[in-house]
Amino acid sequence: MHRDADLEQLMAAYQQGDSAAAAALIQRLSPQLHRFFLVQMVSRRDADDLLQDTWLRIHQARHTYRPGEPVLPWLYAIARHIRVDHYRKAHRTALREQQMEVLPEAPAATGGRTDPGPDLEALLGALPESQREVITMLKVSGMSLEEVARATSSSVGSVKQKAHRAYEKLRGLLQDRGLLRDDTP
Amino acid sequence: MKPEDLDRIFARAGAEHHVEQQVEPELLRRISAAILPGLRPVRPMPSDRVIVAGLLLLTAAVGIAGASILGMYGIRKLSGFEAASIFVVVGLFAWLAASQSAAEMVPGSRRLVNPAVLVCTGILTLMAVFAALFGGNAGSYAMDGFVQQGVGCLRAGLMHALPAAGGTWLILRRGMAVNRTAAGIAAGTLAGLAGVTMLSLHCPNLRAIHVMAWHVAVVPVSAAAGALLARALTFRERSAARRS
Repeated sequence: MHRDADLEQLMAAYQQGDSAAAAALIQRLSPQLHRFFLVQMVSRRDADDLLQDTWLRIHQARHTYRPGEPVLPWLYAIARHIRVDHYRKAHRTALREQQMEVLPEAPAATGGRTDPGPDLEALLGALPESQREVITMLKVSGMSLEEVARATSSSVGSVKQKAHRAYEKLRGLLQDRGLLRDDTP
Repeated sequence: MKPEDLDRIFARAGAEHHVEQQVEPELLRRISAAILPGLRPVRPMPSDRVIVAGLLLLTAAVGIAGASILGMYGIRKLSGFEAASIFVVVGLFAWLAASQSAAEMVPGSRRLVNPAVLVCTGILTLMAVFAALFGGNAGSYAMDGFVQQGVGCLRAGLMHALPAAGGTWLILRRGMAVNRTAAGIAAGTLAGLAGVTMLSLHCPNLRAIHVMAWHVAVVPVSAAAGALLARALTFRERSAARRS
């Protein structure tokens, strides 16, 4: 996980018009943003589009980042905004086309994986959207409770509550799949 | 299940996911090509303190200027304690609304309070203060007078909320609201408080029922107008995006 001090310096340099800093940010933050979109049950093609849209929006709004502030809440608040917009658009399209169900694209081939361990989409797919978002930020992006609260415009208490409920649900899911022993405290 | 167990499972699932779903280098090249050419320096937004101070000055200026033009009849009828009580509460409410407005315009800012909760709490607090201060001023009050005088006050309050809203937009326009409705509510609330400030200084009618109903009503009407305007702007932008 990239530490914030480093990201903050890159962000400040990006605001000053430093192309190398901007390129470094794109290289370093794109994978985790892409993963954030993918685990929200969008197809790979949609995730690619969302990533591109997010960077364009970040570029337009880069002056709203305040040097010295943590980068990830700022970045994820924008990414979340783009995702919500995309969800609304997709919902409207689905309604217009009277399509009852949109299936996500099939996940990429696992390369002959024989291990029956859980995959990230399957794990998170069982959670409601708001819990999935919080768990993705906490566990996949490695953000703190405070950072997640800022990114989602909510309180730390609310984030804790969503995370706790998600743990409970995941515990049940993993036990059902035999991936956790029943005696695990 | 302990949190560490979940961490382990996520780390493993995440690592496998990472290998399977890496970002295409071509996509990164496209993003860089869209952003890097012509990259120019930008001036970061001023600090929250500067923005909040600007918004509070604007609110006070609109309220005081309006009352100066219409006449400071209300403040002359208030005792020192009454004036202090009203303006401390209005000031605190305005500070919260200004802080929230500033926070809404910077993605990932710490949110003090949900703007809808802020409006409701602020309105109830104002009504409680007015009831406590002017509860004894019941007197006889015909319904005709209540509505006629009240509508006049509401109209005057909203007329002062308009320039305050315009000024608030000028101060906040460089920001980016990820939740426009919330930003509209917060900014509308602040603009409404400029109207309440003006009415508190100007209106000599200190009957509790008049002040609680018509002066305070400027705030929710203004907040609702802010929310509706924000939604209308969002709708317009989305329609334009769909057409293009």
